[in-house]
Amino acid sequence: MTSETRGLFRSRAGDLWPYVGGIVLALVVLASFVRAAGGDVAAALGGIVRASFGSAVGLGQTLNKATPLMLGGVAVAVGMRGGVFNIGVDGQIYMGAVLAAGLGLGLVGVPPLVAVPAILCAGVVGGAVWGAAPALLRARYGVSEIFVTVMLNFIALFFVEYLSTGPWNDPLAGEAITRPIAPSAHLPMLLARAGAHAGILLALAAAAAVWALLYRTVLGYEIRAVGDNPTAARLGGVPVERRIAFVLVLSSALAGLAGAIEVAGFHTRLILGLSPGYGVMSILIAVLGRRTVPGAVVGSVFFAVLVVGSDSLQRSAGLPASGVFVLQAAILLFLLAAEGIRRTA
Amino acid sequence: MSWELLVDPSLFRLAVTMSVPLVLAGCGELLMERSGLLNVAIEGMVTLGASVAFLAGFATGRTDTALLLAALSGAAVGLVLAAYAVFGRRDQVTVGLALYVLCLGLASLSYRVVVGVRLTPPRVAPLPEVALPGLERLVLVGEVLFRQHALVYAAGALVLLLHLFLFRTAWGLRLRSAGENPAAADAVGIDVAALRLGASVAGGALIGLGGAALPLTLTGTFTEGIAGGRGWIALMLVIFGRWAPHGVLLGALLFAYVEALQFKVALVAKAVPPQFLQMLPYAFAILVLIRAYRGAEAPEALGRPYDREARA
Repeated sequence: MTSETRGLFRSRAGDLWPYVGGIVLALVVLASFVRAAGGDVAAALGGIVRASFGSAVGLGQTLNKATPLMLGGVAVAVGMRGGVFNIGVDGQIYMGAVLAAGLGLGLVGVPPLVAVPAILCAGVVGGAVWGAAPALLRARYGVSEIFVTVMLNFIALFFVEYLSTGPWNDPLAGEAITRPIAPSAHLPMLLARAGAHAGILLALAAAAAVWALLYRTVLGYEIRAVGDNPTAARLGGVPVERRIAFVLVLSSALAGLAGAIEVAGFHTRLILGLSPGYGVMSILIAVLGRRTVPGAVVGSVFFAVLVVGSDSLQRSAGLPASGVFVLQAAILLFLLAAEGIRRTA
Repeated sequence: MSWELLVDPSLFRLAVTMSVPLVLAGCGELLMERSGLLNVAIEGMVTLGASVAFLAGFATGRTDTALLLAALSGAAVGLVLAAYAVFGRRDQVTVGLALYVLCLGLASLSYRVVVGVRLTPPRVAPLPEVALPGLERLVLVGEVLFRQHALVYAAGALVLLLHLFLFRTAWGLRLRSAGENPAAADAVGIDVAALRLGASVAGGALIGLGGAALPLTLTGTFTEGIAGGRGWIALMLVIFGRWAPHGVLLGALLFAYVEALQFKVALVAKAVPPQFLQMLPYAFAILVLIRAYRGAEAPEALGRPYDREARA
């Protein structure tokens, strides 16, 4: 194990207390929201537990939510490890979903054994293509990938709006929703009673593969070298630009896979609101997980609990959906502050 | 399609109006970057400024209160950013991204708490048009530049004042030296931390004002996506404008022109789906970026925390 991942698992109390503090802070912030909205704090907290992991259906929802967050979090983390900031996870999710849905609409009569892998591959390609543009511009012209990925988010969103209200629109649904994909392309269920699809297994497998790539291959070593110190890597003979481009394409392919899973496993069609802020949450997850793959995996499950839990609060205590952003960002800022204090102390 | 459309005075007038959020936010970011702070929370700060201005205008009916509170909200975020980045020496991009998400959440959360869910979104009164006596009568220019709302004139004045401050005053020199070589600035007795804190608070206030311009001059309403990438574009304009206020102004006008153009084109080219026209400014931004990065030289210490105690 590398020093970095070892550091994550070494459970020295000093390493963990900022995380415990962050969760306590989250609970306090949540409780004050509920109080301000005039709700019963104990009932609301009980509701979060029931809604997120205290019941079969809740567990299924949490696993389903954790899937795109895990892929997105790992996508951003692997990018950061290689020295790129992928702020475009949302756009890549959408383009992965576009290709997946486009293929899925035409897969009628194709057996699932072919249709499911095909639709997932389409998602990977869609994400990778959307990440190739910023990768090329960064490697060739030195253009910051932060801007290009952000701009491509907007372009992807307008494209999905066009498809879902225009050529692929489902006239029966009326809203910004496309026609359903072929049933044979649906992802198999993992826990049918809980409503959990098999996407979480794919996300875990992808995370494991990325971890192995980063820490068990020469390519991964070079990627980390570029992320740590590009000048030193260049002097050591690493083709820096090509590694940067590769890691950005890899990162966006992961996000594209998340888009395909959302289409094939959850919505069974392309919808305009496919990503309720998965992109920004992925950034927080990656930072929270200290830019490591295992950290992002753990962080994504934690965030999924927060999202599902606050969805339940939205119904019971009137907490708006945007409240979860405040909560997540506050936890991260608390962690950053706590680590700063610990370092200077 | 007739080409006269592209030089229509009403199009130029709209472009000038639409450039204001970009100029204000861009100048705020410029001030911070010149002191050595990279602020990637700008998109969130623009959204928060828009939300605060809308809510203040909605609750009090006064645009001056709305502008003041929006500026204060931006200044507060700038203060937090400086606390982390300057005094805590945390990674500026990490803190900035966390603050970006926090601001997005706070903006829509406060809207939901104050306004609630309604079928028709409430509107605020727009900033009144103020014609400058004499100047408004000028041919063409009068209509485009001098029959505008007060923030247009303020943005113009800001560009001039910021230029004079940065390049013609001792304080401006000190600020720039903090961004270029903080150790050298420190050695001659300049308080780098205080300067960066000041730049962050003042820059944050300008970014908040830029956000306020959105509901008060363009939309009249607040939606979660109101910033629509304008914060990121303002961040980009600082690079495009080579860290100079007049460069930011030029870039802002260019972008606002492309942004305004889509509305004009939509009237003529009815066959084109509106979403493709809406993509135009973002696609344009990517094209411009390629040129903007050629030979761009950022302040030397941009994004790097300064540690007085560190050995050289």
